[in-house]
Amino acid sequence: MNITLKYFSWIRVKLKKSHDLIEFNKNISFKELKNNLISKDAIYQEIFEDKSVKFFLNLKEIDDENQTLNNGDILAFLPPVTGG
Amino acid sequence: MIKITNESFDLETELKYVSSDTNGAYSFFLGTVRSDLSSSNKKIKGIYLECYEELALVQLKKIRSTALNNWKLNECLIIHRIGKLDLGEKIVLVITASSHRANAIKACEFVIDSLKIDVAFWKFHLLDNDQKEVVLQKSLDNEKMLKWREIIN
Repeated sequence: MNITLKYFSWIRVKLKKSHDLIEFNKNISFKELKNNLISKDAIYQEIFEDKSVKFFLNLKEIDDENQTLNNGDILAFLPPVTGG
Repeated sequence: MIKITNESFDLETELKYVSSDTNGAYSFFLGTVRSDLSSSNKKIKGIYLECYEELALVQLKKIRSTALNNWKLNECLIIHRIGKLDLGEKIVLVITASSHRANAIKACEFVIDSLKIDVAFWKFHLLDNDQKEVVLQKSLDNEKMLKWREIIN
């Protein structure tokens, strides 16, 4: 299955990319995805430890780390917003 | 009406959009790019506004709907610019229209306060050499929003 990751603001700057398309051979949870990303790149440790960062799955905020991700899902990484 | 755009906007044109003889009051908020200092005390050249547009539209619709219902507005218009903006340029416009001024004024304040905390826009300061600096959220904006949540809920 494929998951699109979208990065914004300082996260995009730090990772030097606005998005990723990652592939898994089975459905995984948000928590498993998190651990997978941290094992690949230490920058993700900093991102996931920052309590001000919010994660939106298909435009809805994730409130349960055990939430299952499905093929075609879009997961966005959102630092605190500063519009207006 | 909600619009996220790269283009500037004209106040008179937008006012016409919300105008109606059922309105007795309009309240406006216009945000512009002010001359500011970066974290290293250098004058900024402008700002860059990043947006997660699909999410921002959902969030703006929710804010608009809350404003319309809570303050019995006849209309609520929100326009937010994205991309590169020079000093003095318009960033955001909120117009609320109602029968009486109190509702229009309160609702307008609610919309702009919500927009600063609950909508997927991010500001960067533009510095010399095309460098960008992330603008951080202000704790005061968060505190204001907490007060609104007490009123709305």
